[in-house]
Amino acid sequence: MATELPTNEHPARDRHQLQTVIIAIALSCTVLLAVFITVFAATSLNHYGFLHFPLGFYLLAQGLLVFIVVVAFWFIRLQERIDLERSESEGLE
Amino acid sequence: MSLPSRLRTPNPHLGAYYGIVTSAFVSLIIILAMFEQLGWGRTLLAQSMMIVPLALYLVIAIGSRTTEVEDYFASGRRVPAVYNGFALAAIAVGGVGFLGYTGTVFFLGFDALAIGLGWTFGMLLAAILFVPYLRKAGSYTLPSFLGHRFRSRTLRMAASVMQLAPAALLVVAEIKIAALIASLFLPVAFSIAVLMLSALIAAIAILGGMRSLTWTASAEFIVGAVGLVVVVTTVSILLTNLPAPQLTYGEMFSSLQNAEITAGLTPVAPGGLATALPGTPPHPNVKPFLQSFGILAPMDFATLFLCLALGTAALPSLLMRSGVTSSIGEQRRSTAWGLLFVALFVMTAPAMAAFAKLIIFRDIALAPASSLPGWLIELGDKGLLQVHDANGDGAIGAAELFIGRDGIALALPSAAGLPYVLTVLMATAAMALALAAAAAHLFTLAASLAEDLYRVLDGRQTLPRLIAAWAAIAASALAAAVFLLIADLDPLKAALTAFAFAAATFFPALLLATWWRRCTKWGAFAAMTVGFTVMLGETVLGGVFGFANAGFTTSVASLAGILLALAVGVAVSLYLRKPSPAEDNYFDDMRDPEGETIYDRAQARAAAQAAAQAAAAEATPVQ
Repeated sequence: MATELPTNEHPARDRHQLQTVIIAIALSCTVLLAVFITVFAATSLNHYGFLHFPLGFYLLAQGLLVFIVVVAFWFIRLQERIDLERSESEGLE
Repeated sequence: MSLPSRLRTPNPHLGAYYGIVTSAFVSLIIILAMFEQLGWGRTLLAQSMMIVPLALYLVIAIGSRTTEVEDYFASGRRVPAVYNGFALAAIAVGGVGFLGYTGTVFFLGFDALAIGLGWTFGMLLAAILFVPYLRKAGSYTLPSFLGHRFRSRTLRMAASVMQLAPAALLVVAEIKIAALIASLFLPVAFSIAVLMLSALIAAIAILGGMRSLTWTASAEFIVGAVGLVVVVTTVSILLTNLPAPQLTYGEMFSSLQNAEITAGLTPVAPGGLATALPGTPPHPNVKPFLQSFGILAPMDFATLFLCLALGTAALPSLLMRSGVTSSIGEQRRSTAWGLLFVALFVMTAPAMAAFAKLIIFRDIALAPASSLPGWLIELGDKGLLQVHDANGDGAIGAAELFIGRDGIALALPSAAGLPYVLTVLMATAAMALALAAAAAHLFTLAASLAEDLYRVLDGRQTLPRLIAAWAAIAASALAAAVFLLIADLDPLKAALTAFAFAAATFFPALLLATWWRRCTKWGAFAAMTVGFTVMLGETVLGGVFGFANAGFTTSVASLAGILLALAVGVAVSLYLRKPSPAEDNYFDDMRDPEGETIYDRAQARAAAQAAAQAAAAEATPVQ
């Protein structure tokens, strides 16, 4: 006898939640990883220069901050697109 | 009947109002600069520059006074994203950040960058992990959100009590910074300044709650930003010929290193977090600016960064502003704007510190001990610097120059030879941010006492809602002022401890509450209690037994508390009962980006039920 697979009552909601979790983990971990790599490589990076700054110092004082700001605005765009997809899908259901 | 928040439009004249505020402040600077050239005395200049903005904040608070509950606790949910970003940045940086962070970068150089980086990353974490869900929940306070999420009054009251530690520490730290500035530049004693400024922030919070805090904080942010930009850009032009301090201070590094070597600064070995952060009293600078990990080892740097990031992400005063905009998208954007403004400050502070260090060490290297530059003597009179030729060699070395950490930013304009009006401008900017942050922390503390403790404990609601909030604000401001009059505390260390408390107490509980459906009331309660207890233990035992000197530091304790709290929260949630259907529904509703806030819907339902009951009672014929 064939067993009946459980049906997903809220496919749009579940897809939205999965995408939201993936984005949150991916972005947070990417920034965290970038910070940790820079911190532990800073002494080596300081042998190189950028705009008259030692590179390790520059990245911790400015480079990573610019990166975090860009990630924040990029996150907003991504999340709004996902939210919109959910609204449209739920409108069709 | 109130409108859904998405349909409410912000005041279309806001841009014009704040354009006028900005123009008026810039005009004040120009007029006072002219009057200084015409011979006005310093006291009069300082009074005009500092008292006019204070009067402006009070006028804005009076203009935005309200007795509507939603306006009072959530600013009517119609604050535009940029203005909420102004307020968020002013609260996150505050006077402690403005003066304390700049001073710490001056003393620790490279190693202090962990603090600014932590704030910025914390704002990003808040935007991603918590803000959208708190906006959808729509609760007026953080404990109220936890209480509604888990349908638990016990949890709500416990969160309110645990919130006291970070909020109270931040209130007193910010009031102390503002009062120190006032006592340096105005003819008032520190104790009088504490009382007057506590009364001012209490008045702002009482008059319009979150609404007046939002609009005064926007003006305070503008004053802070204008002051910072004008002074640092002018110094940058003088030293590098370019008006972009963030990009050009790297050019000064070779001169700075030469000045440090001449003053006798040599590389130092890491000593751990315990003794790393400079205190308030003037003390000598021991570490070269560019030396990487000279006082903090890389692991200490990462620990401090992470503690501040998680503390910022879970800071109740920042998260309490999650319900003031018109939609979830707008709330996310406002956090990103706040993050951008904080990042701009964090990029500028090292430029200020590098400029100040270069000028100070260059000038003392050139001058013999018998004829020090005038600005050095002037700052000595204010207690910001102490110079003593201890070895009698006729020159001042780095070890003989004692500098107050919180005075570096204030000393920069004088050291650069700028007109006195710019020194007072810098002080006004720092005071503006300190007041914005102090008022926000005070309101967070008091609103929670009134909403989450008093209203829950007093079932009969003897005091009306707003009167309870006003009483809590007045009592909290008085308590903060009395504390500052009898106790001494280091504002930066108090603020860092507050961030560590916020991280350990609220980050794990919020993470579980917003991202894990299976989390239960007792799981969240256990997570909060464990994190708070670890921090309380570290603070109390560290003070009593000197653990801090043994390396058991606040940030390490905070991170350990977070890990322990997460583990306990998960274990308790899995061990005890499953979440109820109501908790499950709340979780789904909170994560649905569409629709009105959960709190407003519940309020509307309750109002409709009350109206229906009243109508039914009227329709029933009298027997």
